Amino acid sequence: MSYLELKEVSKLFGKLGALQDINLQVNKGDIIGIVGPNGSGKTTLINVISGYYRPTQGTVLFDGKKISGKRPDQIAARGIARTFQSNVLFEGASVVESVMVSSYLQYRTRSWQAFFETRAYKDEHEAVVGRVLELLRMLDLFNDTFMPAEGLSHGYQRMLGIAIAMAANPRVLLLDEPTTGMNHEESMFVVENIRKISEQGVTVILIEHNMKVLLNLATRVVVLNFGYKIAEGKPEEVMNNQEVIDAYLGTEIV
Amino acid sequence: MRYIDYKTVLPRTVAGVLVFLIVILPVFTTNVITLSVFISSGIWAIAAMGFTLILRTGQFSLGQAAFMAIGGYTSAIFTVNIGWSFWPSFLLAGIVPGIIALIIGSIVLRVGGTYFSIITLALSEVVRIIAQQWESVTRGTRGLITSPPNPIVINGFEINFYASTVPYFYLMVLLVAITAVVFWQIGRSRIGGTFYSIAANPILAEHQGIPLMKYRVIAFTVAGVFTGFAGSLYAHSLTVITPYMLGLWQSIQIMIMSIVGGIGSLAGGPIIGSIVLYTFGIYLSRVEIYGIQQLLFGGVVVLVLLFLPKGTGLIDLWDRFWRKVIWREEEYEPDTPDD
Repeated sequence: MSYLELKEVSKLFGKLGALQDINLQVNKGDIIGIVGPNGSGKTTLINVISGYYRPTQGTVLFDGKKISGKRPDQIAARGIARTFQSNVLFEGASVVESVMVSSYLQYRTRSWQAFFETRAYKDEHEAVVGRVLELLRMLDLFNDTFMPAEGLSHGYQRMLGIAIAMAANPRVLLLDEPTTGMNHEESMFVVENIRKISEQGVTVILIEHNMKVLLNLATRVVVLNFGYKIAEGKPEEVMNNQEVIDAYLGTEIV
Repeated sequence: MRYIDYKTVLPRTVAGVLVFLIVILPVFTTNVITLSVFISSGIWAIAAMGFTLILRTGQFSLGQAAFMAIGGYTSAIFTVNIGWSFWPSFLLAGIVPGIIALIIGSIVLRVGGTYFSIITLALSEVVRIIAQQWESVTRGTRGLITSPPNPIVINGFEINFYASTVPYFYLMVLLVAITAVVFWQIGRSRIGGTFYSIAANPILAEHQGIPLMKYRVIAFTVAGVFTGFAGSLYAHSLTVITPYMLGLWQSIQIMIMSIVGGIGSLAGGPIIGSIVLYTFGIYLSRVEIYGIQQLLFGGVVVLVLLFLPKGTGLIDLWDRFWRKVIWREEEYEPDTPDD
């Protein structure tokens, strides 16, 4: 049985179909790459899974339970975290503050325990701080711990986005173009980290244009075009698929 | 040996001494007018703290005076019409606005933003109209005549609220202190961080698993409870409550006090803002030009927003005074990020 499953999912904006009858099975521990030309519905797919949009039709199942139609915070509480395509940050917070604030789901203690600073809360808080620092160290943000998040360079803001998503303790991580605007070395650093995250037992779904990254990383690649899934399979197979090449480069009419 | 940073200890000590001087004010003077100014400032300070707490979650409530009115009317109705003593009615004056805030909050906070402001604005009008029209209970525009709290007798020592304003002043100080400690603790605990994240970026916060509604409703309800207590004390210190005492202008006044004092601080800012502005308002009430208070309050807000931006308000002036004038520190300039 698959871990995360999309059954006949469609998302329509008016009459424009951003996603049309998408079926997708994700197994535990997979790294799924989603590729497709601009406007093919990649980000919409992530928005539908994370609950930002409700699917017009179809259901999303996670761990055997229906999650489509639930609020983003309920879906996040079940263990699906995401990053955003642009650098979405908490305004005015430093790096460590943004990650601490995002660690909401790591706390098991209730609000009143936090208010009265009970022993259980303090112990838990200490553990969370430790985990946050570990996360910052892993994603190379440790030197900028107390920097304002807006002051980071683009690449580090992308890393902070991943750190914020990882702070929610996800079982499935949805990454929306984690390597945009990065040079080769930086992309490879991200790839390395995604692999590390995957080794921690997190299932990863990532949108990526860079085929080198996908060849390196993905166990399976899904190709979208105009909201339809046109191909699925191992990265090498998909890259040589005629339909995919047509979608990306266009067909030649002679 | 522990290193003592005199640069933070000294301003805090001076601030602490000032607070202490206000607390022992009755030792120097028992003048009713002076004490009443502080009592009323305290009442507005609590309301302004409530406003700041709601603002922490990114919502702009324009109906805080309505909760004061609900609190005030609750305790007035229960003492005058039903004949309860002050203390249980006072407790009820916190519970009733809390429940109303909970109900209204869980409906209205779904929309949030500007709509929330407009609906809270409407709420304050609704409360005023109910108070005005429900004559059998509220006596309409004539208002309810309340009395000061009953005397408390502890071991033969009587605290008499009729004889002087001093016990009332200490009741006020106690309530302000409790509110300040509760709000300060909310602000520095995990809940404060959650509030902040909801205000800073609701979409990201929601995707991190933070239930927006829950925390917005918590802030609105906690603010409602304490504002209700303040409203009850207001009604009993003025010994009257009428529908026109707590209307739109009072809501705006609460907002102005909070902004001028500094919204960056949950307790200190509103207290400073309300003491300064209330005293200023009392002084202006001698000037016989209609609307001068509103005009000048607006002017003060503009000045604060121009010269003390980022919502730091008057409380930041204190900090700046020490850093610039006393310690003569250089302005901190963050490094430009290297892209």
